[in-house]
Amino acid sequence: MELLRYGHDAWGATVVNGVNWDLLGVAVGAGLAVVVVHALRRLLGRRNGG
Amino acid sequence: MSNQSDDSLLRHAGADRFFHWATAATMLILLGTSLLPVVGIRFAWLVPHWVAGLVLTVLVFFHVFRAVRVLNLKSIRLQGADFAELKGPKAPKPGKYSLAQKGMHQAWMLVVLVAIATGLFLMVKAGVPFLERDPYLFRLRTWGRLTLLHDLAALAAVFLVIVHVYFGLLPEKRHYLVAMLRGRVSRAALSKDHDLSKVERGE
Repeated sequence: MELLRYGHDAWGATVVNGVNWDLLGVAVGAGLAVVVVHALRRLLGRRNGG
Repeated sequence: MSNQSDDSLLRHAGADRFFHWATAATMLILLGTSLLPVVGIRFAWLVPHWVAGLVLTVLVFFHVFRAVRVLNLKSIRLQGADFAELKGPKAPKPGKYSLAQKGMHQAWMLVVLVAIATGLFLMVKAGVPFLERDPYLFRLRTWGRLTLLHDLAALAAVFLVIVHVYFGLLPEKRHYLVAMLRGRVSRAALSKDHDLSKVERGE
């Protein structure tokens, strides 16, 4: 997966246009991963009497 | 921290609670107007986006002014001693804000400042009623880099919203949410994770 979006300037040189919006799923996934990992740690901590 | 009573402390003044919730609403509008078209929900997003961006800019100026003139910057500044919290339950308790709370604030500060700084320039490229559109202000390469930073700020904001809302809704953190809604927090709830003597010293 490309991390960035690219275009071309008037001379044909490649220029960056921004991020590849497929990374939106990565941002959401990373946020949900923090939530899941913390929730599991919290659950295990309670089971172990923490 | 002023306005202290026997069993509760004022954690967030009304002006700061207004800033928090107004910023939250503005961020959701900014993320909605920028990212819904990305996932295929098409609408005229530009006007609500730049209007919300300007509102956010005004709110941040208001917050910075209050932080410098009224609030105690020492309580939110991330310092080396804050990382002692990582040692676990035996570590000294923090003052008003924990390491995680300071980290969240610094992350939001970085994301919002990058979004505002790049967004103000991108308004010149897009054209708004009070600014003459000038897509030739910068070279295409520079516009691309500004857009890249603006996009990265948006992605980071999505991550931060998810994490911030999750921790804000946890039952054991409920007193923080109540304090952000009503202003006050009970000494008993706060003392579980914070050193009240430090809080009262403004640390």
